Amino acid sequence: MLAPGMPSPDALQQPIALDLFEGPFDLLLTLVLRDEVELLDLPLVEVVTASLGENARERWDTDTAGELIVLLAAMAELKARRMLGEPGEEEPDPDTLEAREALAARLVAYAPFQRAAAWLAEQGRDNTGPRYRRMPLEGVAPPPPPEEDPRQLQAAMARMLIAPPAPSLAHLTNRRVSMPAALARLQTALSRARAVSFDAFTDGMEPLEEAIALMAALELARRGEVTLAQAEPFGDIAITGSRL
Amino acid sequence: MSLSELARQVEALLFLSPDPLPLAALCEVTEESPGAVQRALAELGERHGPEAGLEVAEIAGGFTLRTRADLAEVLDRLRERPPDDRVSPAALETLAVVAYLEPISRPQISRLRGVSVDSTVVSLVERGLLEEAGRPQDGGAMRYRTTRAFQERFGLRRAGDLPPLESFELSGPEAERVRLQLVRAGHLAEDAADPYASAPENDGPDTPDGG
Repeated sequence: MLAPGMPSPDALQQPIALDLFEGPFDLLLTLVLRDEVELLDLPLVEVVTASLGENARERWDTDTAGELIVLLAAMAELKARRMLGEPGEEEPDPDTLEAREALAARLVAYAPFQRAAAWLAEQGRDNTGPRYRRMPLEGVAPPPPPEEDPRQLQAAMARMLIAPPAPSLAHLTNRRVSMPAALARLQTALSRARAVSFDAFTDGMEPLEEAIALMAALELARRGEVTLAQAEPFGDIAITGSRL
Repeated sequence: MSLSELARQVEALLFLSPDPLPLAALCEVTEESPGAVQRALAELGERHGPEAGLEVAEIAGGFTLRTRADLAEVLDRLRERPPDDRVSPAALETLAVVAYLEPISRPQISRLRGVSVDSTVVSLVERGLLEEAGRPQDGGAMRYRTTRAFQERFGLRRAGDLPPLESFELSGPEAERVRLQLVRAGHLAEDAADPYASAPENDGPDTPDGG
């Protein structure tokens, strides 16, 4: 909390007096980052005390104090890292070393092809001079012989342009099977008999009609109008009406 | 200097054929022995010396009559060279890999080069420097090989007319320089082993079976 009546101070500009350094706080930070002040020789406790001050609570508002604390923490972390050794100075893990070795080996193994490419480039330069007889391009149709009659070509093209006869669709059927009709048929059958055999009900039906009949039976079962029973897999299904 | 009858025939055949004629083809057409045809070719070589406009060259698997290099400028006034004549360094490296390891598939080339070569191979096929060489019997990716146009372009007498690949390998000190460059670039530790010594011998694609 800023003391009433005090001008808003710049925390980074406040002077710090240490044995090693005397000047504004931001200059100290700059010198540390430039390695012009040896961080290992800098007593951090004194820096903290000098920057936050004896009466920090009164001198700084919360945001400014927070900024200072973040900077001091970063400086402490930097010092800790330097004391323990930089991460960059650590020995890389075996996988990284292996990958680097593989890269080096690959470069060396590939080098002959790069040199062969340079040799080819030189060969290409040496062989730019001679000219060869022009060869006919593959895939390009030769010009038509002059004695060809254009009317023959026209007739051939005309035959190609005649539309072929429409294909017959006589062998295709347009059967439609209605689910409501299948439901009605099954309900009618069940109105005559309490139980209906699925095999008997679908006797003589086409596979599509049989499938729809099965769906109709399942639909009635879902509605609770019938119960379905099958003694064995692929056996006959007994469709029994639930209501008398 | 008068040419022998066989040399005249061979000269006429080389003039007529748009493709380089292999020795076997010359022998078949002239019904002469390889030795006699070779003597006739040597005779023609003397006839078409540096002072002549044409020369006999063994290239792309056969013999051909081509123009002397020093006449290129005047010839190009008659017939302009294709504009897409330049081969990029990446395309040259791809050509080198194919030339030494053909037939070879695009994934194999990519593995060796460490980059995708799909568009490069497509471009080289379109330019007639590479062609499809079929798929392996057990399936897999399409393989590619160099073409006769490639041999003509780079002055090769036949497929595989290349210096031994071993002659391009890095020497010990050169491999050490690669290692030092990697160290300087931060990719390799100072005390890393010599990569040349640890280079896998069979890291690349299958070597050609002589085809």
